[in-house]
Amino acid sequence: MTFLSTLKQEAKRIFTDVTIVLTIIGGVIFYSFLYPQPYLKQSVSKLAISVVDYDKSDVSRDIIFSLNATAQILVAREDLSEEDAKKSLLSDEVKAIIVIPKNFKRDLAFNKSPTIAIGADSSYFLIYGGVLEGAMKSILTQSASIKVANLLKKQVPLGMAKESYSAYSLNIINLFNKNNSYTQYVIPAIFVLILQQTLLIGLGIFGGGINESIKNKEEGYFNTAPILYMFSSRVIVFGSIFFIHLLFYFGYSFELFEVTHLANMYELLTFAMPFLMATLGLGILLGTLFNSREVATPAILFSSLPLAFSAGFIWPIEEVPEIIHFVSMFVPVIPAIDGFLALNQFGAEFYMVIDSYAILWMQAISYFTLAYFFFRQKRKKITPINQVNMLK
Amino acid sequence: MLKAFKKAFWYETKSIKNSWYKTLLITIFPLLVFLLIVAIFKGGVARDLPIVVVDLDKSKLSRSILYNINATSTMDIKYVKNSTKDALELIETSKAYAVIIIPKDFLKDTLLKKNPNITVMLNTQYILIGKILTSELMSVSMTTSAQVEYVNALVDTQNPEIALKSVAPIGMQITSFFNTYKNYYYFLVSALLPAIWQVFIVITTLVGIGEIFKFKRQREFFENSNYIAIKLLGFMMPYTIAFMILGMLFTFYIYSQWAFNGSFTVLFLAMFFTTIAYQIIALFIFSVLKFDYAESLSMGSVYTAPAFAFLGVTFPIYSMNGFALFWRDMLPISHYLQVQISQANYGNGVLMELDKFENIALFCLLFIPVIWLFKRKITKVLV
Repeated sequence: MTFLSTLKQEAKRIFTDVTIVLTIIGGVIFYSFLYPQPYLKQSVSKLAISVVDYDKSDVSRDIIFSLNATAQILVAREDLSEEDAKKSLLSDEVKAIIVIPKNFKRDLAFNKSPTIAIGADSSYFLIYGGVLEGAMKSILTQSASIKVANLLKKQVPLGMAKESYSAYSLNIINLFNKNNSYTQYVIPAIFVLILQQTLLIGLGIFGGGINESIKNKEEGYFNTAPILYMFSSRVIVFGSIFFIHLLFYFGYSFELFEVTHLANMYELLTFAMPFLMATLGLGILLGTLFNSREVATPAILFSSLPLAFSAGFIWPIEEVPEIIHFVSMFVPVIPAIDGFLALNQFGAEFYMVIDSYAILWMQAISYFTLAYFFFRQKRKKITPINQVNMLK
Repeated sequence: MLKAFKKAFWYETKSIKNSWYKTLLITIFPLLVFLLIVAIFKGGVARDLPIVVVDLDKSKLSRSILYNINATSTMDIKYVKNSTKDALELIETSKAYAVIIIPKDFLKDTLLKKNPNITVMLNTQYILIGKILTSELMSVSMTTSAQVEYVNALVDTQNPEIALKSVAPIGMQITSFFNTYKNYYYFLVSALLPAIWQVFIVITTLVGIGEIFKFKRQREFFENSNYIAIKLLGFMMPYTIAFMILGMLFTFYIYSQWAFNGSFTVLFLAMFFTTIAYQIIALFIFSVLKFDYAESLSMGSVYTAPAFAFLGVTFPIYSMNGFALFWRDMLPISHYLQVQISQANYGNGVLMELDKFENIALFCLLFIPVIWLFKRKITKVLV
């Protein structure tokens, strides 16, 4: 059997299988639109809060005004008591409560350091962090201007007062994803996972189907064609489809959802190559192990959430148990996410991702080798007669 | 009628017993995935996040600031570099999440009251980590800066009390509601486990019904086209029981560690309806896709896999757009999760939860087209 006829047979079997086509083409495109949907507003801003102003002075008004002026906070309600505010917090109308105590202005004047209470719903880290950031910033600014005013009272010249109100300042620079956009946070990593999972499912269904056909003693090229030809055909067909998907995801989708892409195309594709090969290798290997068409989807689907959370982009990798992290390094998506984020999101040089790059190549080589031996073994066991034909 | 139900029930129970695949699907597999998730989030809080420091001052003050940073549970100064460029490389390879740069002559400038700047560069690509580091660094810097100011003020005023108050004219007291420990373990795990659970319900139901059709056992199972609905319910029941047990298991696990103010009866009632709803959805997918096993599995996974993102746990619901909210409503698990949260937090009565129960029950209406499609198919098969 020649290589070209094997390729033709494999391609025919792939493209006449509705389930495979739906998964590796329909599914991939559908997911690219569905997944970003929850996050399209990108960031959590203008969080509704309630202010309880027991002081009702011009100073407290000032503070409320400056709270409302921050990007993070919207003063949606002013409640008369903490109980009322708490009620609106429980009914989810507001996410935080800020209480300005009675005699606030007077205590300030007497240098008594009155305390503003901030209470926030900490269930959502985005909300909690946002409210805290906004409130702290605006209260610190107020604090600073009071210090400056106090210094001016002591006849300190304005220029000096402005500089000396605090010992030093903290200048925080957000390096990447400057606006804390959730799309930027999730998409670049989750898209790599989607590509891997759909490719694995596609190859898994295909391989499982071939094993089923062999077991049922069906006639076909798969009994006799050289394994090397069969695997290369799969690499060509699935590989070129997913190469296009890669271009679609990293090109069109990133552009569409306004995701940063710092890497140049050449470097990105150089890195994508071993990712694609490792995933193809793993998919073909899994395909040789599955006994039917229907095992692949559940098996790979169940791994999705654990993989997403052990990849280190949502939850710090330092917190993932050592053993889970170690095992996960055998799955292409884990080193791949590391590398893609570094190149495309952080603008790293290629030599910095060389570790992930090497791991992916090693995975590719090992998975293809294992797949070869497993499939040879499987075919030998079930079709000993055909094995003789193959040698001819 | 009861006989038809019983027969279908025992038929499927026996088939589960005879198939290691189906047995694993309702036992080891879901438990294993639950366990993985629990293990990943076991820590609950982010600790010892690696930080890189570029200390160009190397003074007593800069060292004490760095000491204070290292003393927090969240941050760990893992690297010390001499140039910003070297430090940034660690950020770009995710070996560290923040660079702290203390400028030259830092101590001198604070003494001269020149208000020097400490620059922090954060990797905010990882939003959770970025948020945690921002607030932690702000508060460390506030305390340390206040200490310096206090000493300065003390020199000026010679009065400790006045000195203290002049450092911070406005005090701040921060309280966090609901998730008092700022622990994400409960928060994420209590939504992730139901999200995984619903994937298993749909997939397992599809495997159950799919194998009947794949191995041409329709005749054996249905025998005739009478009581199709009853027979389907009998088929569903073993899985309903299995998934109720799994659901109760993770619920008791979660709330053995966290407060639960409501009634487990209300929650389990909602869980029962959710299980049934998902099973009916699975049968609906299967019958609409012309009883094709592999194709329904793909559709079932497209439907259930992204559910977690739509639950509004990592990203709040009220910031979602119309389509996302629509897709969210199409998932019974999002209504179930609302019952779970409100029961855990406030313990409302059944009547207060009625709208959510209604939403879940609405999915069961799909049983009508399911019966119709199955009846048509079975009649055709039997002819």
